[in-house]
Amino acid sequence: MKTVEPAAATPSGRHRSEGPPPRATGPARPPRRNRDRLHGLLMSAPALVGLIAFVGVPFVYAVVLSFYNVRLGSPLAPTFFGVEQYRRLFTDPDLSGPFLRALLNNLTFAVVVVPLQTGLALALAILLNRKLKAIGLFRSLFFLPVVFPMALVAVVWRLILARSGDGLLNSALHTVSLGNWGAFDWLGDGLTAMASIIVLSVWQGVGFQMVILLAGLQQIPSELYEAARLDRASRWQQFRHVTLPGIRGTLVFVALLTSVLSFRVFDQVYVLVKGGGLDEDATRTVMYQAVTTAFDQNNIGQASAITVVFFLIVVVLTLVQRRVVRSGNED
Amino acid sequence: MNAGTGRSRRTARTALALVLPLAALAACGGGGGTGTSAEQGSGTGTITVWAHQGQATEATALQNAVKTFNSSQKKIKVELTLIPDTDYTKTITTTDASKLPDVMEFDGPTMANFVYNKKLTAIDDYVSATTMANATDAIKAQGEIDGKHYGLGMYDSGLGVYGNKKLLDAAGVTYPTGLDDAWTAAEFTAAVKKLAAEDADGKSLDLQENNGYASEWGTYGFAPVVWSAGGSLLKNGKAEGVLDTPAVASALKTFQSWKTYTDPNTDGNAFAKGRVALSWVGHWMYPAYGKALGDDLVVLPLPDFGDGPKTGQGSWSWGIGAATKNGKAAGAFLDALLNDTNVTAMTTANGAPPATRSVLAKSPLYKEGGPLQLFADQLAQPCGDSAITTSCVAVTRPVTAGYPTVTAKFSEALASVYGGADPRSALEKAARAIDQDFSDNAGYRIQ
Repeated sequence: MKTVEPAAATPSGRHRSEGPPPRATGPARPPRRNRDRLHGLLMSAPALVGLIAFVGVPFVYAVVLSFYNVRLGSPLAPTFFGVEQYRRLFTDPDLSGPFLRALLNNLTFAVVVVPLQTGLALALAILLNRKLKAIGLFRSLFFLPVVFPMALVAVVWRLILARSGDGLLNSALHTVSLGNWGAFDWLGDGLTAMASIIVLSVWQGVGFQMVILLAGLQQIPSELYEAARLDRASRWQQFRHVTLPGIRGTLVFVALLTSVLSFRVFDQVYVLVKGGGLDEDATRTVMYQAVTTAFDQNNIGQASAITVVFFLIVVVLTLVQRRVVRSGNED
Repeated sequence: MNAGTGRSRRTARTALALVLPLAALAACGGGGGTGTSAEQGSGTGTITVWAHQGQATEATALQNAVKTFNSSQKKIKVELTLIPDTDYTKTITTTDASKLPDVMEFDGPTMANFVYNKKLTAIDDYVSATTMANATDAIKAQGEIDGKHYGLGMYDSGLGVYGNKKLLDAAGVTYPTGLDDAWTAAEFTAAVKKLAAEDADGKSLDLQENNGYASEWGTYGFAPVVWSAGGSLLKNGKAEGVLDTPAVASALKTFQSWKTYTDPNTDGNAFAKGRVALSWVGHWMYPAYGKALGDDLVVLPLPDFGDGPKTGQGSWSWGIGAATKNGKAAGAFLDALLNDTNVTAMTTANGAPPATRSVLAKSPLYKEGGPLQLFADQLAQPCGDSAITTSCVAVTRPVTAGYPTVTAKFSEALASVYGGADPRSALEKAARAIDQDFSDNAGYRIQ
């Protein structure tokens, strides 16, 4: 950790001389700017160290491991494998099939969940951003699912989505349709398995985004609405021209956060697969594949290759997303 | 964001400079075995024991056994650590061999892996000949590698089909009385269909779907289908040609056809509440089923797919850590643990078939004429893990360090077949993946 300091203290004279010409304060100035730099780096050091220790090192380690045939708890020394793990991931039909399917599943999940969850969170936030009696109670109710661990939520939803006529959803539909709805296998059917995962994930996660957006909404000065009303702006116009610009930054943050979180989908798939009836192929995500490869099959090399590929894809997607969002922001 | 690019580039360079040496260090940390070996020791002093924390009754039985042992003599003191069931195997996997206890429990199919990575030592030199002779053949088969024994269990396990006599009789279905007249797969399917026709929701079978098939239950519960169809999960370290035979594929096709008649059993009570007439599950459901159905409960063998009915076997076992400095004391503790008192207490607590001859003969559940005699009959005809013939019944899951891959791939194939995939291609895929893994690991040969 100490190594941060000398690096931070390295004077960067060339750049400074390109800066604005020193004023009357004279020679005292460069050391002072230097000190600011040092303090800045010192303050960011905890975050930086964390980033390096928990993202940088593991990633580099994963890259190294992915070039080896490494097994958990094997007495055989790891052997150098070259790009074999990557070759298998992309060309071996038995391995690349599930892997590419997992990637596609992840993308589907993100593409559906990000707009859906952000939109729903916004709707809920607006709904709950008013002066009602017991508003705190309503807010807590909508936030409640976030408090439950995903594993628990998945177990509960297993009862809701059960394929028998006794499943909560099936029996509700049966009642509503006056007995015309038969038992449907929500988790076991390839078409609805992912949709089920999406619904339960959104249900569990939306409260979190809602709270952030709610905070954003409350930052908007009420004078703006008052002025808008004086201008006879309709409710929709108020939303379009006051609310949305007011929470734009928050909305962007929420969308980014949701997309990053949506790539991490794992718990619900893992719990529901182990719990029975889930169509594994239709819902296998990259995280699920990496974890089961590493810890159920002890194949660390393969799992590392999976995570490296996935890391790169997520980084690229995030960069693209940020660029798009930023250019939109600076209009 | 508005910081100069020069600054961020420098930061990146600093970060890289910091990361690289650390990474190199970390990379060196991998691999490298520990040269530990078991020693006889003095036979006195303190030994450490690890066990899995299962049901409360099991934990109590074990704690009592340790307490009695500690107070019965002054030479050896046992320190017991209970580790939660779900983390138990991972704990041993990730603990260095030198830090493992003198005596430890492990789940049967994980044993070979621990022998392979030198975490267990053979117990033949430490436990007494009497203890070894008293162990059932089935449990000995599970603990044996290359003629040496690495584990012995207090109890075993078995699979069967529980039937609801009242529902069977009402539908006019005749059922087998023992192993000799076990249902063929076709007869079983016919019985399931006939029962379903009488059932309000058309579901007459429970296959413990609530446990999930892409899990150890998938392998333990339905590998007997493969064995009974003349196939195997693995033969001479190879799955291709034994797992993906046409006979096995057609057996799984039959298994697939049962889904229509299977209650998803989300609440785990399908059979006990009388929603279904047949339940394909292990001995462990007997206490619940016996209580719910009383005299209406019948215990039947799994159906015969051509090569005789088969069942799985094997359960938690005890072994000695490879790094123990006190093998003699560890052996003495195992002798005490496997005596009649402790085995009786444990099997009364969890209802499992006792794994010692003397207790099995006296067990009220499993003895001649007992309600679960069928399980004892099955275990009395063990096949080991490779010599699967038409006449033996209880098959041990493959005793190989590659078992984690075997079970992962087979259960995955099973789950996808149940979901509607083509059995032939699912099995071929699993066989190829298993063989690939074995060739990557030089066949998991134990040195």
